[in-house]
Amino acid sequence: MPVRRRDVLKGGLAVGAVAGAAAGGWIGAGILGPQRRTPTGSLPVDRIVRTTCSPNCTGSCGQLAFVRDERIVKIQQAADYPDAAYNPRGCMKGLSYHLQVHGPDRILTPLVRTGDRGSGEFRPATWEEALDQIAGDLRRIGEEHGWDSIHVFGQVPGSGYVQKGANYRACALLGMSHGTSFDFNGDLPMGMPITFGVQNAEHEAKDWANSRFLLLVGANPVETRIPDVHFIWDAVERGARLVVVDPVFSGTAAKADAWLQPKPGTDAALALGLVRQILAHGAADEAFLRAYTDAPLLVRADTGRRLRERDLVEGIAADAPDRFVAWDPAREEPIIVGTERLGPPGGLATVALDGQVAVPRSGGAAIAARPSFGHVRDEVDRWTPERVEAVTGVPAASVVSLARAFAAEKPAAILMGGGANHWFHGDLTGRAFALLSAVTGNIGRSGGGYSVYVGQYRVRVDTSPWWSPGGTKAPVVPSIYFVRGRTPTMHPKVPYPAAGFKALVCTFANMFLQSPDVNRLHETLRGLELIVVVDHQMTDTVRWADVVLPATTWYEKTDLTATPLHPFLQLQQAAIAPVGESRSEVAIWREIVRRIDPALAAEWFDIDEDEAIRQILEAGGGPGGPTEGITLDHLRAGPVRLRVPDPDIPFLAQIRDLEPFPPRSLPAPLEATAAFVPTGRIEFYKEEARFLELGEQVPTHREPYDDGIHDPADWPLVLLSPHSKWRIHSTYSNNAWLAEIHGGRPTVLLHPDDAAARDIGDGDPIRVHNTRGSLEAWAHVSEAAGRGTATLPEGWWSRYFGAGKGVNELTSSEVNPIHEVHFVANMWSPSTGWKDCRCEVEKVGASVAAAAVPAGAAPPGGVDG
Amino acid sequence: MRAGVAAGGRGTSLRHPNSALVAWLAFLGVVMIVGFGAWVYQTQQGLAVTAMRNTVMWGQYILFFMFFVGLSAGGLIVASSGRLFGASRMKPIVRLAVLEATIAITLAAAFLLPDIGRPERIWHLFRYPNLTSPLVWDIAIVSTYLAISLIYVWLYARADLARSGSRLALGTGTSPTTMEREHRAKGILAWIGLPAAVMLHSITAWIFGLQISRGFWYSAIMAPLFVSSALVSGLALVILLALAVRRAGRLSFGDDLVAWLGGLLGVFIAVEAFFVLAEMLTAAYPAAPFEGDPVYRLLFGQFAPFFWFEVVVGLGLPFVLLAVRRLRAQPRIVAAAAVIAIVGIYVHRLNIVLNGLSVSPVGLPPGVSIGTAPASGASSFAMAYWYVPSIVEWLIAAGILAGGAFLFTLAVRFLPLREEP
Amino acid sequence: MAEPVDPIAGLPEASRRYGEVGPHSNAPRWGMVVDQERCIGCWSCGVICKSENDVPLGMWWNRILTEGEALDTPTADHGRLEMHWLPLACQHCDNAPCVKVCPVGATYHGDGGLVLQDSERCIGCRYCMVACPYGVRTFNWGAPDRPTDFDTGMVPPRPVGTVEKCTMCVHRLADGQVPSCVWSCPAQARIFGDVADPESRVNQLVRDREGERLLEERGTEPKVWFLPPRRRRGL
Ligand SMILES: Nc1nc2c(c(=O)[nH]1)N[C@H]1C(S)=C(S)[C@@H](COP(=O)(O)OP(=O)(O)OC[C@H]3O[C@@H](n4cnc5c(=O)[nH]c(N)nc54)[C@H](O)[C@@H]3O)O[C@H]1N2
Ligand SMILES: Nc1nc2c(c(=O)[nH]1)N[C@H]1C(S)=C(S)[C@@H](COP(=O)(O)OP(=O)(O)OC[C@H]3O[C@@H](n4cnc5c(=O)[nH]c(N)nc54)[C@H](O)[C@@H]3O)O[C@H]1N2
Ligand code: SF4
Ligand code: SF4
Ligand code: SF4
Ligand code: SF4
Ligand code: SF4
Ligand SMILES: [Mo]
Repeated sequence: MPVRRRDVLKGGLAVGAVAGAAAGGWIGAGILGPQRRTPTGSLPVDRIVRTTCSPNCTGSCGQLAFVRDERIVKIQQAADYPDAAYNPRGCMKGLSYHLQVHGPDRILTPLVRTGDRGSGEFRPATWEEALDQIAGDLRRIGEEHGWDSIHVFGQVPGSGYVQKGANYRACALLGMSHGTSFDFNGDLPMGMPITFGVQNAEHEAKDWANSRFLLLVGANPVETRIPDVHFIWDAVERGARLVVVDPVFSGTAAKADAWLQPKPGTDAALALGLVRQILAHGAADEAFLRAYTDAPLLVRADTGRRLRERDLVEGIAADAPDRFVAWDPAREEPIIVGTERLGPPGGLATVALDGQVAVPRSGGAAIAARPSFGHVRDEVDRWTPERVEAVTGVPAASVVSLARAFAAEKPAAILMGGGANHWFHGDLTGRAFALLSAVTGNIGRSGGGYSVYVGQYRVRVDTSPWWSPGGTKAPVVPSIYFVRGRTPTMHPKVPYPAAGFKALVCTFANMFLQSPDVNRLHETLRGLELIVVVDHQMTDTVRWADVVLPATTWYEKTDLTATPLHPFLQLQQAAIAPVGESRSEVAIWREIVRRIDPALAAEWFDIDEDEAIRQILEAGGGPGGPTEGITLDHLRAGPVRLRVPDPDIPFLAQIRDLEPFPPRSLPAPLEATAAFVPTGRIEFYKEEARFLELGEQVPTHREPYDDGIHDPADWPLVLLSPHSKWRIHSTYSNNAWLAEIHGGRPTVLLHPDDAAARDIGDGDPIRVHNTRGSLEAWAHVSEAAGRGTATLPEGWWSRYFGAGKGVNELTSSEVNPIHEVHFVANMWSPSTGWKDCRCEVEKVGASVAAAAVPAGAAPPGGVDG
Repeated sequence: MRAGVAAGGRGTSLRHPNSALVAWLAFLGVVMIVGFGAWVYQTQQGLAVTAMRNTVMWGQYILFFMFFVGLSAGGLIVASSGRLFGASRMKPIVRLAVLEATIAITLAAAFLLPDIGRPERIWHLFRYPNLTSPLVWDIAIVSTYLAISLIYVWLYARADLARSGSRLALGTGTSPTTMEREHRAKGILAWIGLPAAVMLHSITAWIFGLQISRGFWYSAIMAPLFVSSALVSGLALVILLALAVRRAGRLSFGDDLVAWLGGLLGVFIAVEAFFVLAEMLTAAYPAAPFEGDPVYRLLFGQFAPFFWFEVVVGLGLPFVLLAVRRLRAQPRIVAAAAVIAIVGIYVHRLNIVLNGLSVSPVGLPPGVSIGTAPASGASSFAMAYWYVPSIVEWLIAAGILAGGAFLFTLAVRFLPLREEP
Repeated sequence: MAEPVDPIAGLPEASRRYGEVGPHSNAPRWGMVVDQERCIGCWSCGVICKSENDVPLGMWWNRILTEGEALDTPTADHGRLEMHWLPLACQHCDNAPCVKVCPVGATYHGDGGLVLQDSERCIGCRYCMVACPYGVRTFNWGAPDRPTDFDTGMVPPRPVGTVEKCTMCVHRLADGQVPSCVWSCPAQARIFGDVADPESRVNQLVRDREGERLLEERGTEPKVWFLPPRRRRGL
């Protein structure tokens, strides 16, 4: 549409009070004036490249990079998903990443430390020098202390199977220990492996739109699932109800039909209270419980362990698979339950879910037993609405009406997030909500389900050809043990290095900012002989490195990505040449390995990204495989939906086809995770000794763990550190456009009552501290805060604080022994409890305020409001 | 400007330049050069060197523009009414008033130049005028008014110039017919000048008064209010200048005239006070005061010190001084009242413009983008903005004011101010 | 060096289809609907506007206001917390105060009823900013300050000393593509279209959801409608 405008004389306004002649001349001039101009087309670019935004975010949004003179001049969503509901995908952060690609904090050359560690003093070095030094040191350390004493830490492989996979490949080749992320990030929802035997399993975001009732617990999709949250609005527009459970009035709470405000860390009690109401009103879906869960399986009264067929019958081979026992109340006899196929034991709709039974045994006394669900019910029954109110602060009446409403609508979805999961006892919370979903029969249904959306963990394809060269796997050590050393209860299968940790190579992570308990982490760092950090921004972690290698961004290299939230396979494709002297991780590791062992490198690292992707696609490309029929060329043209059901719903094979739990969690072999749920069913009763010892065999509620470390009487505030809408963790801390919006300094949200009690006003500089650490930031006082909470979103680089190393000076690295009952890295492994943290807050002097706003930078006049 | 006259007033004759006069003119010259330098700097750096921002996008330049428009209109109204309404007492100061009006309108126009972002495009105003813009009409009336003032000045000086054989008399003589024509021309000019002055001020008022963007401007009283405040400040300045020039020996009139003018000023102030009252009452009465409200800010908020200064010191005090016959008989007191009244009117302008602008329209957080990169730790948005002119703005203003003083000094020195009998 | 590519003609096919303006009347009048129920206050529309149009630091053509105490902070009314977002750029008023007051006609009504700005004619008097009741105009106070050391975006930068604002991405409309902010809203809360066509989606939405315009009572006749947030239903 050409936009042009012809000057038109506007008549009728000639007021005759002034000299008309002059005005007359002017009118003429106006008519004869040239046409007015505004741009009528876009400025040309050199090329437009389709790639994928890949910070440590669950988005993986397809983006177009507009390139002019080898520089990105605009980033905009590609909006090319074949499934239009996913368009556009991307948020304000992704749209502004070129400010970081070309920004002032970009690392352009290798750097070698000249000052003390942490001083941030470096000199530029050549690649030759830096690589020689790293390779030399690694070889020395590897030969002296064992290669596993070198810890390679890289975050969330899901957002880059190839470049991040290069870490695994190098570890496998050299025997270095690789760290973990899903568990370390506290994202691993331990309730999932405990209950379902899977690492995690969630409905694809699109399926939210099919829901009639959405119960959000500790999840804030308005801020942390920006590209997906509209699917909730689609459901709401069709009449679904949205209920948000959050101690803070989050962006999502603002959209809710109802907002429940529990005390932090008490969600399990709420879930149990809801289950109790549903059971009490006979609204439970007992058929579901019988068919898919361990509810009918008998538990022995004497040992607390499940009754097995071999307990009743002699002569079953020791290596034969376990079979379990249920009870037919009509015939008063046991039913043997195998693990090959789901369904109600014996096909009976009446199989017992409760009651004390004496199971006859061949050649012995009967064994006293009770169906698992009886134990569950005992626990659940304790959670009357009044008790729930006492523990959670949620009014009893709300518990009653929520239970009624939740049970009445089908399908009803539970969306759990970090706020509920990031607790020492987050596993119990997860188990309790899984129970709620199961008793209402919502599991495996479109629009329903119990999903935990945390982390970009998901390995959706078979990466083994690339990650495990020649079938050799990297030894993987949960990084929490890197932070705090062994625990007494550590699982014996953890390949903890005999000599301890002597070197760290950190890539794709801002580890020294984002790890829990960073002051303790710094103790570990002191013992390290080498710290190498690969990054492209001058982060807190980079500042502590001995050698820094400049990485390319995802706009400068090739990779393959997927995410839990939308089942599309996508490429990162280089839009521009590497900025400065930066290099990709594949290139970096190739060079390091070559220097250590040229033959090994020649054999295994002489392969480029495209070839790696081809191999991965092939590995999963068999019939029924996730990448069946998908080629690199398809991916170059745009996103390709993985060969998964549409909509992608977990446990379909179990619920529809009665296959036993668990489905496989890539990249682990099925046997590894199947051991988590030996019944092949959804397990609400756990019989492993430690569960019994700790009294956690059925879902229950425990007070927050840090209450035992920091007495609430002395440390009255709970420090919550959720994820900020303005950052992906620490990434974008330094984004100039976003800082323009939010003001660029860390604020701590406090309730007006808590602030007043400490004489703190909005905007005041404050000190937040506990026995682990302290920091200085600024108060933001609003009733959005729950009483007794202090909310400081995670991720701010330390330079933006008045003092301190960031919020993780205060957080805890305590390990829950339940998370050590089994060990499969990132699948049953210690999960961090970021929010399980108490603190106190006080006002500090004006010095902080003055330090943060450099004099002279403020606009003249001054701004208020 | 006053200072200029005071310097000339230290008993020396301006006809015979002495070192004090030269020093004074040199001083003004330096200030003018510094001001000009500041303006050049501003054109290089952009208006970022002012304290104005998107939130308060008009500042001291526009304030001075309005203020000098007012001074000028006041001067011409005094001059014209002297003739029209046979207020022959005013005769001795009519020339001075005309001169004041001319210089003031020149300064007003001069203040527009540093205010606009692209001064080199000023000709667009004449090339592409948009007739729905009050600003275009204001430029028109300012130009017209400047022309009238210049003709006025010439008419009054013409006979003297002709007598001294100056070319500036444009070949006119002093024959009785010519003098008769001059007399008639003066009458006609007065008839044009008075409404022109009223329009000048009304149109300037309508720059604001027609805008619905800031609730409290959009009011029919804006034009009368501006006219009345023009009368106050214009007359006050004429009184001050007349007293100064009398001391310099370039004019002579009796103290009774001063008292009479003082009385008139008192009446003007009363009218102004009435309008202010009417305005504030209308604005404040229906609204429950809330903090974002401009009326609230004037009465109790950030601008309250300015508003109450305007009311108590700017209007109340001079009115009392002038209302009491015994007081206004003393020229010193009248002069003091005039000074206060002028300051009061300046503050009044400030209260209208800055208070109207200082809070972002729509009024929801985080407000309006400021327009320049924020300091680290601050956002780019502001709900409210406290404007204090920057050094550059002060220097440019000082330069323009010095220019006015310079012109006035020269005019007093070279033009005949005494009305020939 | 490769041939220059037009950023719209050169879009991948699927992306270009996504951005098409779609059917409209013969004499379209362009307008927009912003759904406050869907809006999540993410500022993607503000950021992409800044990027698309090379808007320097300190200046925003499109900003997202919080109906609350402060940015992303609710108001508390007797313990009841409430918060909504109101994205605000030029409303392309039919009866535009800015157009009326501009002394040189540098801001004017262009085709499709858009309020446009001629940066070469603007003298920088800022009267339009005074007149605009929405505070959406911004002045180039000094040399542009950018976080990068090169120009970004798809249109030329504007000269110092002139006023600028949302153009409804007229440079994209010229090629039949929706404005960038409409393209980039992840919550699908912005709908662009022809308000002259009674059956257009924008008009349907305004009818069905009782869309309102901001400061309607001032008679500016904006061409942006807001669909109000729905009623919260409780448990
Ligand atoms: N913008 C943005 N998006 C992100 C990320 C990011 O950093 N920024 N990170 C991504 C990653 S890796 C992750 S893991 C996810 C995490 O994102 P989410 O799952 O949304 O987790 P959080 O932001 O940690 O917390 C969500 C909410 O839980 C609330 N909460 C805190 N404590 C409790 C509690 O005890 N009970 C309940 N019910 N609620 C509580 C918090 O107030 C917060 O509003 O986000 C992903 N998306
Ligand atoms: N207190 C508290 N702490 C938390 C959490 C919390 O809720 N509270 N949440 C935790 C969670 S859930 C998570 S997932 C973690 C996330 O923790 P991290 O993943 O460590 O955090 P990011 O800030 O995303 O760090 C990613 C780093 O990788 C760099 N990077 C990006 N692209 C590349 C690349 O291509 N190559 C290389 N070499 N580097 C690259 C980025 O510049 C950035 O510095 O934080 C955890 N920390
Ligand atoms: S930051 Fe995350 S949500 Fe935003 S565009 Fe990138 S991947 Fe998508
Ligand atoms: S919103 Fe403001 S700038 Fe836009 S047309 Fe209306 S008055 Fe003009
Ligand atoms: S600043 Fe420019 S567009 Fe605005 S009114 Fe003045 S000349 Fe017109
Ligand atoms: S239409 Fe274009 S110019 Fe206007 S706000 Fe949207 S992106 Fe910015
Ligand atoms: S992009 Fe969409 S959701 Fe985000 S602030 Fe703008 S209108 Fe609202
Ligand atoms: Mo995470």
